[in-house]
Amino acid sequence: MKIPPLLIVILALNFTLLAQQSIAADCESTRKKPGLSTFYSDGWGIEKTNTRFQNQAKTSLSAANVSQLKLKWVYGFSTHQPRSFPLVTEDTLFIADGENLLALDRETGCVRWQYSGKGDIGTAIVHRIIEDQVNLYFSDRMNGVIAVNALDGQQLWHETPGDNPIPMYSGTPLVDGESIYVPLSSMEIALVMNPLYGCCTTSGGMASLNSETGEFNWYIRSVPELPHKTGSHFLFVEEYGPSGAPVWGTPTLDKKRSTLYFGTGQNYSRPASDTSDSIFAVNTKDGSTRWIHQFTKGDAYNMACNLGEDHVNCPRPMGPDVDFGAPPILATMKNGEGILIAGQKSGDVHAMNPATGELIWQTMGIGRGGALGGIHWGMAVNPDRELLFVPISDVFTGPLTGEGDGQPGLFALDLNNGAIRWQQVRKPRHDELACAGRNCAAGLSAAITATSDLVFTSSLDGFIEALDASDGAVLWSFDTWRDFSAVNNILTNGGSFDSHGPMVADDLLIISSGYGTFGQKGGNALLVFQLQGEGL
Amino acid sequence: MLLRRLFSTLIDMVLVPFLAILIMWVTGVLEHAEDFAAYRPVITALLLGIVSYLILNAWLLWQRGQTIGKALLGISIVLAVDGGKVSIWRLICIRALFFPLLYLTVIPWFMLIPLLDHVLIFGKNQRCLHDYVSGTKVIYQ
Repeated sequence: MKIPPLLIVILALNFTLLAQQSIAADCESTRKKPGLSTFYSDGWGIEKTNTRFQNQAKTSLSAANVSQLKLKWVYGFSTHQPRSFPLVTEDTLFIADGENLLALDRETGCVRWQYSGKGDIGTAIVHRIIEDQVNLYFSDRMNGVIAVNALDGQQLWHETPGDNPIPMYSGTPLVDGESIYVPLSSMEIALVMNPLYGCCTTSGGMASLNSETGEFNWYIRSVPELPHKTGSHFLFVEEYGPSGAPVWGTPTLDKKRSTLYFGTGQNYSRPASDTSDSIFAVNTKDGSTRWIHQFTKGDAYNMACNLGEDHVNCPRPMGPDVDFGAPPILATMKNGEGILIAGQKSGDVHAMNPATGELIWQTMGIGRGGALGGIHWGMAVNPDRELLFVPISDVFTGPLTGEGDGQPGLFALDLNNGAIRWQQVRKPRHDELACAGRNCAAGLSAAITATSDLVFTSSLDGFIEALDASDGAVLWSFDTWRDFSAVNNILTNGGSFDSHGPMVADDLLIISSGYGTFGQKGGNALLVFQLQGEGL
Repeated sequence: MLLRRLFSTLIDMVLVPFLAILIMWVTGVLEHAEDFAAYRPVITALLLGIVSYLILNAWLLWQRGQTIGKALLGISIVLAVDGGKVSIWRLICIRALFFPLLYLTVIPWFMLIPLLDHVLIFGKNQRCLHDYVSGTKVIYQ
């Protein structure tokens, strides 16, 4: 019997609709209220000390079983530039999708609730338990810091701290009890591309608010001196400085010393200040400075330089643009003394005495460094092995590229003295011909995450890998540079990895693939992996 | 004749944003960080556009009966009833409302609005809708 083609099409459409309805039906039965008993991180850095270390109590992933990781589900973001880092509980995953904050069922990827904001949420989701309520906090890149109720996503407060008229909230806030610390950078870095713009007056900064109410506690500028007129161009356009020193990353908390540490970026205009490319240590109570250690003097750069070094708003001399994008890590050496470690885009690692800022050791030139790292988003520490893991991007950035050959990959340094214990340099996986459809850069720009015997990395060419913490051997690898079927039935693809990197919780590995900035490949895939045989 | 009107309009359309940028450059109203706070750049840009438009269209038309575009193409605006000078209130309150609609020609469907205004030019009197509403007509030198 011959079946008419039209009937086949109708039947196929019906089956498709039925399949979609079954997925929707599954999600309809999803409980709206998330479980809020167990949390698997306490800030962007897993811990408030920014070690990015997940201890054994919170993950079952290990060198022995990591090869059994399989893709469990994929959620398709609405944005191809996901910038959020999840907060995981016993049954829920809180993560941002563009302007929306989602509470996703950890098992299925179905949405429990959704908070709709105004702009792009670009930070990790952090939390605070206040009696019987859990508050979630995050920053909208343009619109300030927001608190919502974790139970239903209802907004509790919204604030825009600081004195910057065009702030950018790119760093994740840090919550500690009654205080929430909010890092600030500035949109001025991009406005300068307009030659009629008079560069530059804004400063980076750090603000402290009451985490329960959003009330203002204190605010400090990372360029303390106010800008003054330094010249003009095109007859009428006035130029100003010093400016810049944005705080891109989350701060680091030292409870013992009541101190907050954070890194700053370069100046946007000259004269350069004494506080750019520096590590700050400030009193958590009032923001007063305990110490400032500047590592690169005279660094001035802004995005006008991308249009040409002769652009009227490009500082002369330009660069080298080697700010601290990665937050400092507070750890303990084998002698019991504290150590504060900062990784710079230059590819240098600096270890300091947290009480004074004095150097303990330095390991310079891990990789060649450049405007996008060197060390870009974040390192990790394994306290048990006394190892510092340093991801190196070394992506080519034109005249702002460091000297020498790139060394993209992962380096393990001795926490006590900075000596390199092992290195896993990545090579482009494709020959030059294949690079047209693939990112040739294979570096590690995104932050990494460590467990007791693993290091999870994610690369600019779209691979997520688990490396053996003892020698850097690749134990598991997954290529995300492809299309995926998503639980929410939208076109979903992976791409480059950048920004916040992987999260591990119980037997899960969670990561967002795609980063359509700086010429990288965008993507919209939230990938959740699980150990095989458990829940599949 | 119609081509002269078309080209004079095109010249004025280009001159308005050009003058707005010129004013912005000289006055520095969109030059510093605080000028870009919240909705300020949108409001400032809008005001710059209105001021530039009123200078090039209302003020020059009132003073000379010609915009720069019309002067270059040798055409003038006069009152339809007696060929006299058009009053400033008529230029600002009535005629001025039509010119910004020209910029809608770059938006699909919205382009019908200025097209409706101008389609009447093919009539016997060669007057657009805005000419009828503001009581003006174009004369050729």
